[in-house]
Amino acid sequence: MKLSISQRLAAMFAVASFVTLAVLGVAMHGLLKRELGRHQDNELQARWQMYRPFIMRNDEAAYWGHIRSKFDNSLSENSRVRVWVLSDDRRFRYGSELTAEQLRSAVTASFGQVRLPDQQEPFKTYSAMVEARGERPAVRLMVGIDSTPFVETLQSFTVGLVALTIVGALGAAALGYYIAGVGLRPVERLSGEAQALSPGRLSRRLQTDTLAPELSKLADSFNGALARLEAAYQQLEAFNADVAHELRTPLGNLIGQTQVTLSRERSVTELKEALHSNLEDLERLRAIVNDMLFLARADRGERAPNRIEVSIAQEVAHAVEYLEFIFEEAGVRVRIEGDAQASIETSLFRRAVTNLLQNAVQHAPRGAEIVVSVLQQPGAIRVSVRNTGSGIAREHLSRLFDRFYRVDSSRSGSRENHGLGLAIVRAVATMHGGTVFAESDDGATTIGFTVACA
Amino acid sequence: MKVLIVEDEPKTADYLERGLREQGYVVDVARDGLDGKHMALEYEYDVIVLDVMLPGTDGFSVLHALRERKQTPVIMLTARDRVDDRVRGLREGADDYLVKPFSFLELVARLQALTRRSRGQEAMQLRIADLQIDLLARKAWRNGQRLDLTAKEFALLAALARRKGEILSKTTIAELVWDVNFDSDTNVVEVAVKRLRSKLDDPFRPTLLHTVRGMGYVLEVREQSEDA
Repeated sequence: MKLSISQRLAAMFAVASFVTLAVLGVAMHGLLKRELGRHQDNELQARWQMYRPFIMRNDEAAYWGHIRSKFDNSLSENSRVRVWVLSDDRRFRYGSELTAEQLRSAVTASFGQVRLPDQQEPFKTYSAMVEARGERPAVRLMVGIDSTPFVETLQSFTVGLVALTIVGALGAAALGYYIAGVGLRPVERLSGEAQALSPGRLSRRLQTDTLAPELSKLADSFNGALARLEAAYQQLEAFNADVAHELRTPLGNLIGQTQVTLSRERSVTELKEALHSNLEDLERLRAIVNDMLFLARADRGERAPNRIEVSIAQEVAHAVEYLEFIFEEAGVRVRIEGDAQASIETSLFRRAVTNLLQNAVQHAPRGAEIVVSVLQQPGAIRVSVRNTGSGIAREHLSRLFDRFYRVDSSRSGSRENHGLGLAIVRAVATMHGGTVFAESDDGATTIGFTVACA
Repeated sequence: MKVLIVEDEPKTADYLERGLREQGYVVDVARDGLDGKHMALEYEYDVIVLDVMLPGTDGFSVLHALRERKQTPVIMLTARDRVDDRVRGLREGADDYLVKPFSFLELVARLQALTRRSRGQEAMQLRIADLQIDLLARKAWRNGQRLDLTAKEFALLAALARRKGEILSKTTIAELVWDVNFDSDTNVVEVAVKRLRSKLDDPFRPTLLHTVRGMGYVLEVREQSEDA
């Protein structure tokens, strides 16, 4: 069974107060018992002192009957008290007959007790010798008082204490339950608010300003998670929209073109032409899908699996060689600066550098120089491609690596470029434990990425 | 050349069957894993095209069963671009893999690579019409005139000439000439073909280097130019 926080707190309050009250009760019980005992002893001694003169003043056996009636008188008003005068001489005795057994427990010490047959509780006794005088030998005067009231007081006190402890614990539990309920009310409010959150209202956050510090920390963490979720969700939504948009154009072409072609009798040449055109669009679709799958791999956190230790500059040179014709056509030169060794997956790395170079050559003016620099940094190797030419506005820089993002929106739909080139650079960087960066000022743009190195 | 296609998707199986048959292969098709396993074990094939996701028995178990008895070359078709599948396929004895969606030309190129057993004996001299290529000296002539080609232009010409009459996709060309095995947005191949054409075909007749729209390029003698 799972207890609610209120129930648990109530139970804990109950246990805590029960233990406290119980310890207090035991201590008080002990104290009371000792005090009551002392009180009894005092009373016994006082009574002994009171009765002693009765005997002291008397020294004749003939007069002992008078003493007896005096004792009887004195005791008749108080059945709690008994008096015994113990003597070897039968003439100087008083009180009920006691067995040797009863006597022993009473007389071995000055304080003792006597168990009387007609009484439930034993009598507490005090005895001492009264010295001989005249005809009377030394006798032992013993005073006993009934301990029943003391025992009863102690008992009722104990019962009271136990009852109080239990009632106190139950009270504490009830009170604790109530207090916990009041204390947890903000949590309930928070959970109500959290329940009201839905995918449709992702921008909503939990109210933290009215919360207790302990809870506002939790709510802050929760809000942080919500913010990340919202960002991911929006990215996904935008991504889906982008994909749909990117696929829509070639799909539309395919359907339209095929319908037009089939609506009339066509010559073989015309049919071939239509099929070729379809194939171009299909190839474009395939390229997009393949790139999307590649990006999805990086999104899943996959790392580059087939890494080997190579010279970065050599890999860059390889990519430069691949694009050589493009550079010649565009009339730009490429220079590679610096070098470093790193463990990378060469095909992924070349792909990233190729995309960066491709991007640079599209923006560089004729006669410009593109500089690729390889820089060893602590923990990472930085590869950057710098081209002169009109810079990129600040608002575009941060989104440059987003999928399907195009600085020049008029370029959208161009057949060459489906807007995933730099997103792939970022994916490659991610798969190598690195990041991407982009800087631009009036004269030049530098875009690049890092790969982690051991 | 005999090929077994193990593929459950009817359209894919049909176009593969037709396409490969037209390429001169003898083609058998198995539509599920159990049939595929049975046929692969019972009959002799030069190469097997094996889909990973199959009803009945999946591609890995077919491969596993096959490798216990035979060393027939296998190309795996994986629908998911997952490294796991590729690594697993290659580890369990597949010879190559293609990730769907793949291009048909790519498949043909891989099949040829797997079945072209003795390329070592390849001729060092190639001749197409009046084009003459010396692969060893890395020189080419047309109509007796030496063609002034750069290293990459020659590599492109040699790649096309070696597969005379075959359509080479841009991806295949990039791989053969530049050792680049990834898709990119560049039009390097187009530019290279344009340059080669200006030296190879512009001054001479007949035209040898043809563009097949949407597919790639082919080097061959045609009755009349169909270039778009």
